[in-house]
Amino acid sequence: MNASDSDEDIYNERSALVRSESPALPSYIPDSDLTPPNGTPTKRLKVSFRSESLQCFVPTRPAALTPSEEEELTLKYGAKHVIMLFIPVTLCMVVVVATIKSVSFYTEKTDQQLIYTPFTENTSSVGRRLLNSVLNTIIMISVIVVMTIFLVVLYKYRCYKFIHGWLILSSLMLLFWFSFMYLGEVFKTYNLAMDYPTVGVIIWNFGAVGMICIHWKGPLQLQQAYLILISALMALVFIKYLPEWSAWVILGAISVYDLVAVLSPKGPLRMLVETAQERNEPIFPALIYSCECVHCSRSAPINNGSAACLMFVIVSSDQNRLFRLRTGSSGCFVGLCLTLLLLAIFKKALPALPISITFGLVFYFSTDFLVQPFMDNLAAHQFYI
Amino acid sequence: MNLERLPNEEKLSLCRKYYLGGFAFLPFLWLVNVVWFFREAFLKPAYTEQLQIKAYVKRSALGLLLWVAVLTTWITIYQHFRAEWGEVGDYLSFTIPLGIP
Repeated sequence: MNASDSDEDIYNERSALVRSESPALPSYIPDSDLTPPNGTPTKRLKVSFRSESLQCFVPTRPAALTPSEEEELTLKYGAKHVIMLFIPVTLCMVVVVATIKSVSFYTEKTDQQLIYTPFTENTSSVGRRLLNSVLNTIIMISVIVVMTIFLVVLYKYRCYKFIHGWLILSSLMLLFWFSFMYLGEVFKTYNLAMDYPTVGVIIWNFGAVGMICIHWKGPLQLQQAYLILISALMALVFIKYLPEWSAWVILGAISVYDLVAVLSPKGPLRMLVETAQERNEPIFPALIYSCECVHCSRSAPINNGSAACLMFVIVSSDQNRLFRLRTGSSGCFVGLCLTLLLLAIFKKALPALPISITFGLVFYFSTDFLVQPFMDNLAAHQFYI
Repeated sequence: MNLERLPNEEKLSLCRKYYLGGFAFLPFLWLVNVVWFFREAFLKPAYTEQLQIKAYVKRSALGLLLWVAVLTTWITIYQHFRAEWGEVGDYLSFTIPLGIP
């Protein structure tokens, strides 16, 4: 089976919903209390992240802030944002890891591969395997680049209907087909009988309410939950059908592409941000995860690429040993914190994946090559630290 | 989407759409309707549209209860009698457990 366009589409995002001056936005992220009754613009720090299968953070703030107030805001909201992002990422990881541990289907290696990675890794020589994974990566990344550029072009020429249709199709597939498969595998694992009518009702309800929440209007927490679940489903599909070495090389290549796409002047994501800022338009839903800080004295909505969850999850879940899992995920979280900190400092669109992925990869591989043998040695000598 | 920030007419319209949508075999939508609009309907100080919102929430809850009853009954029947139904039971089954029932 192949994941078709959905892996690109779902995680394609356009535009931050950012405005430098802050009258109420016609955004699906409610902002209508931006100007309080007395008329002075509210001090507000809006941070938006969006990405393709990439991630970029775009901050904005209203104009009327003194430097010291800005500093204070930065620090205050930095911590809150970090925590608010930790939660969906952690939840996503929890779902994926729980599934992998219990449902063996997703870890059974099959010879089926996605059409994006046609080269097999079942070869005898290491060199051949490496070559194949690099080739797979090249294909995958080119697909991502082409999709990104295609989306930017569509957005620039205001082909909103097309984009909407594309998004709807891909979320349909995720919400219905993948969850149907997932449910089937869970039932098989726990050896439960289940009839078609009940399954039909369950999947129909899950999918339809998901579509409504994501593409139309629904409670914020439900929308967040659905996005987390979708990311988890996507991650599981990747874990099953993406060969191991290709996965690592792809992760590395994606973070490089993220850097390029967001920071370079002609980068597609950067153009997207700028076009969206010019037009002051809200993002298409279904692509971003929005956390609204309801406890903040001033509301600071954040939007985050649900693709980011995917990436983090893949890094941490493609591991069999729990020890590596912990270090890999801690690496990701460290990276996430650092990226958010940089965002607060630089106050411009930033790629979010590179730091996190780099840390995740570094931690993961160093654990494998350095820490694990060290721990084994310690254990062998019964030396506890 | 934060309900607090919507004008009352839009709240009513949303509630109504969720209520109507639930008739398409979507008891989950009714559940979301009940949970989401519960505070609006019952815990907030009165406003013009609140009466209608209350009505929709109550009807959604009713519909939900009905669905839960039907589903529970069907699932109980199915799980209990599946093995005895033989071929029909297998035909209806999405997953068939291994082992002797």
